[in-house]
Amino acid sequence: MAQSRQTIFLMGDPSLVLELGEICHQAGFAILYKPASGKDSAPFPKHFKKVNTIPRTVFVLCELSLDRELKKKNLLFIDKAAGASAVILSSSITVTASEQASWIRRPSRLVGISTMPTLLSQKLIELAPTIHTDKAVMARVQEFFARLGKELAIVQDRIGMVMPRILCMLINEAFFALTEHIASPQDIDLAMKLGTNYPRGPIEWADQIGIHSVVTILEAIHDDLDEDRYRIAPLLKQMALGAQWWGT
Amino acid sequence: MKTIGIVGAGTMGAGIAHVAAISGCRVFLHDISDEVLTKALERIETELQKGVEKTKITAEQASGARSNIQPTSTFNDFSNCEVVIEAALEDLEIKRDIFRELETACTPETIFASNTSSLSITAIAASIKSTARVVGLHFFNPPHLMKLVEVIRGNETSEHTMQRSAELVSQFGKTPVVVKDTPGFIVNRIARPFYGEALRLLGEGVASVEEIDRIVRLEGGFKMGPFELMDLIGIDVNFAVTRSMYEQTFGEPRYRPHLIQQTMVNAGMLGRKTKRGFYDYSQ
Ligand SMILES: NC(=O)c1ccc[n+]([C@@H]2O[C@H](COP(=O)([O-])OP(=O)(O)OC[C@H]3O[C@@H](n4cnc5c(N)ncnc54)[C@H](O)[C@@H]3O)[C@@H](O)[C@H]2O)c1
Repeated sequence: MAQSRQTIFLMGDPSLVLELGEICHQAGFAILYKPASGKDSAPFPKHFKKVNTIPRTVFVLCELSLDRELKKKNLLFIDKAAGASAVILSSSITVTASEQASWIRRPSRLVGISTMPTLLSQKLIELAPTIHTDKAVMARVQEFFARLGKELAIVQDRIGMVMPRILCMLINEAFFALTEHIASPQDIDLAMKLGTNYPRGPIEWADQIGIHSVVTILEAIHDDLDEDRYRIAPLLKQMALGAQWWGT
Repeated sequence: MKTIGIVGAGTMGAGIAHVAAISGCRVFLHDISDEVLTKALERIETELQKGVEKTKITAEQASGARSNIQPTSTFNDFSNCEVVIEAALEDLEIKRDIFRELETACTPETIFASNTSSLSITAIAASIKSTARVVGLHFFNPPHLMKLVEVIRGNETSEHTMQRSAELVSQFGKTPVVVKDTPGFIVNRIARPFYGEALRLLGEGVASVEEIDRIVRLEGGFKMGPFELMDLIGIDVNFAVTRSMYEQTFGEPRYRPHLIQQTMVNAGMLGRKTKRGFYDYSQ
């Protein structure tokens, strides 16, 4: 069916499904998604079509969760339901694409992508192919992102990739500074924007990404590299558990 | 505030004098070298003319600023100053000596500010008796273009000193942010991972210099990537800041410098100023 190349299937983190789905919609794709664990947490626009199974003709499938267990569950579902020639794009910030590929029956069709919340609508996306990734699969993935108008950067398959690691570590440092009460959150954001031209302040950026996602990424990096350098600011961890910060 | 003293007429001192003079202050600009003072006035003149050409300031403002600045090789006129901003060499002993001299030359009400980027304000203040009037005013280079000034509260700095200093920054048309006297203050500290993680990623072979810069610009939305920015700042300067933070925190691993930086400094590849850094600028 010619239709199949025009359809994309998404599942995983609802805010990322929404962010990437909108971009695909703008580029003329039809959007299918499977809601997270039965219920719709975010209200999706009408042009997002909710499905429980994947039509076997869909060519591009995306898994967009950061949580490892959920990701595994979703990928096993996708692998089983997808047509034989479909390619799987999966967020590989917190679990390497190579490890994810080892979970599925046909590892050659999976490619890791950087799906950093707040950055999906930017011009570039990082790709992490694995040692298993098929050349033809890569060509298909490149064609797909070209249609979305994205530039690509191929990076080695490592936890944190490039931009998510740099950005989350900037945020972590800002939260250490907050923990130590060296300045107010407003002044920290203002200082980084005016003093060194950052596009957003690190604290407001953390809020926009979602504190929970920032901590999930930092935890994955800390587990992987196992160095004190990557330990997480206590305040950030506590806020990820839903605590309210009262400030200075 | 109407009368300001500035100690040290180098890159930062001259720039701060320019900013203060435009804002309507009378400025006594001091340096131990007459040659430096002459050069500073020339540089300010060039910048004022540029400002008029680009219609950022009027010809009247420029001539007003010109007549507001008085170069001097002594502290004789500093008894009239409400604030003195020190922008001499980045050396604790030199700064302490200057503050001791200022304590004798100025009135007890005069606020003493240091533009240090890496020394402790508390340590500088400890050289004189009246520590409550010592504050950090950290301008960014070039002072006449950069909008931010970090106002640094030393252990003994009074609330009055903090308030007056923030007012002065606003009078200069800049934005003050208040920060506790800790290594790197806000900007130099929080920016560390921007360079540090980029160097680690490069060292671990995750992506190349060019790719990391492209990713940070196009995916992150930053104006410049970490490597092109290090080339602009100077790899030696960036390395020195990182090293100083690492030492001042007794080896905090988040600030650990990277071998790549050290090797480049040892090789004399310092960035744009030597025409070679992470990129080649010789063409
Ligand atoms: N250059 C920057 O980007 C920058 C940014 C922020 C803060 N700072 C800080 O500002 C201060 C000045 O830095 P700079 O880049 O302008 O240095 P600079 O070398 O350009 O200027 C220093 C000036 O101080 C003079 N000087 C030395 N000893 C003196 C003394 N005892 N009395 C009076 N003048 C004396 C020197 O003649 C020289 O002209 C340093 O503390 C530095 O850390 C620099």
